[in-house]
Amino acid sequence: MTRKKVKLAFIVNDSSRKATYKKRKKGLMKKVGELSTLCGIDACAILYSPYDPQPEVWPSPLGVQRVLAKFRRMPEMEQSKKMVNQDSFLRQRILKAKDQLKKQRKDNMEKEITQLMFQCLSAGKILQNLSMVDLNDLVWLIDQNLKDINRRIEVLTKKAQSQPQIVAPMVTSGVAKIEEKVQVSYGHGLDLDMNMDIMQKQNWFTNLLNSGGGGDEALPFEDVNHQNGFWPNPFFH
Amino acid sequence: MSKKKSSLGRQKIPIEKIPKKSHLQVTFSKRRSGLFKKASELCTLCGVEIAIVVFSPADKAFSFGHPEVESIIDRYLSRNPPPECSAHQLVEAHRNANVRDLNMQLTQLLNHLEVEKKRGEELDHVRKARQRQFWWESPIDELGLHELLQLKVSIEDLKKNLGKHASKIMMEQSNMSSQIVAANGLGRFDAFETKPGAGMNIASTLPNNAYYLGFRHAYL
Repeated sequence: MTRKKVKLAFIVNDSSRKATYKKRKKGLMKKVGELSTLCGIDACAILYSPYDPQPEVWPSPLGVQRVLAKFRRMPEMEQSKKMVNQDSFLRQRILKAKDQLKKQRKDNMEKEITQLMFQCLSAGKILQNLSMVDLNDLVWLIDQNLKDINRRIEVLTKKAQSQPQIVAPMVTSGVAKIEEKVQVSYGHGLDLDMNMDIMQKQNWFTNLLNSGGGGDEALPFEDVNHQNGFWPNPFFH
Repeated sequence: MSKKKSSLGRQKIPIEKIPKKSHLQVTFSKRRSGLFKKASELCTLCGVEIAIVVFSPADKAFSFGHPEVESIIDRYLSRNPPPECSAHQLVEAHRNANVRDLNMQLTQLLNHLEVEKKRGEELDHVRKARQRQFWWESPIDELGLHELLQLKVSIEDLKKNLGKHASKIMMEQSNMSSQIVAANGLGRFDAFETKPGAGMNIASTLPNNAYYLGFRHAYL
């Protein structure tokens, strides 16, 4: 069976069109039958083609009569409520495709802004060439992420509280002196370069835990390009 | 990380009545839609006329017809050949032209959708690769408590910086526009009035390149 994408337009080539007609007609009738059997429902199909004066029908002339009679017995409104022709059917499909496209674009935008955020985090500074729109999007995304992070933190801390307390190894492992105080200068320039080593980070984190989240001491960005999972892990994995 | 499939994919099922009611309903919905789609394609590709009538499990009637369900049913039941008058043919021609346009529009949309889907997959792929290097890019649900705390601090700080960055830009902008008024008598221009969703390079809105260089120097 060929799997080439077929252009959705009248097939101009006569023999090609006839071949397609035969195959697709067969497939269509098969599908009607499957639908009827699988779902235990009444169905019928009537097909007029230039190749045959008599229409092709499913399931049989008698079956078609029966289903059409059932159809025609219904009130007019019930008959036309879910009735479509090419025009209305295609319009429905177009609307659906538009919606899907809009959603996909939105998702992709969000993914891109997320990447932007991660890049800012890794680089330790705000990248240049960001428009106000990008900045706004970034802030929005950060807020969304903070919501999720906080929610997750709550879940985990609840879990921890229901378990016996284990002292985190990194807090007790020898804390080295802080070698270098990292300069965080907000006033001039946004080049926040932090090359800290592990001990410093642990120290900072210990301080963070002890002080309950000290604001200005907190060092924002990590230059961890060459470091991977430097937090010896605890109990939450 | 466990792989989560959004659906089971195409699975072979026996052609007999589906036992579970909910499954049956879903199957009806999907297959009815697919059936009409196939019928629509057959009409477009091969220029045939068709009517399909199906009853849902709840006995609602769904029908698809080209040109119209009613006319096909009437034609079949009365065994009358279709009218061949020129007026009728003109109507047909218009109708077909309209369907052609709709098909083109639909095809275009589906192509765009395909492109965006691929873009989404690429973005996912990049992020997955980065996750090996940067732990904070992993999904939040996979991070441990202290990782979360650390990430939270970092992000909050980034947010603070962004706010400051933004205020600086706005200050620069108002300084700049007053300079421009002085320089060439033009009114204030709003560099940041962009169309929603259009990320615009600041540089491109500044008329004076030399000024932009100066601006950059202040912040690098």
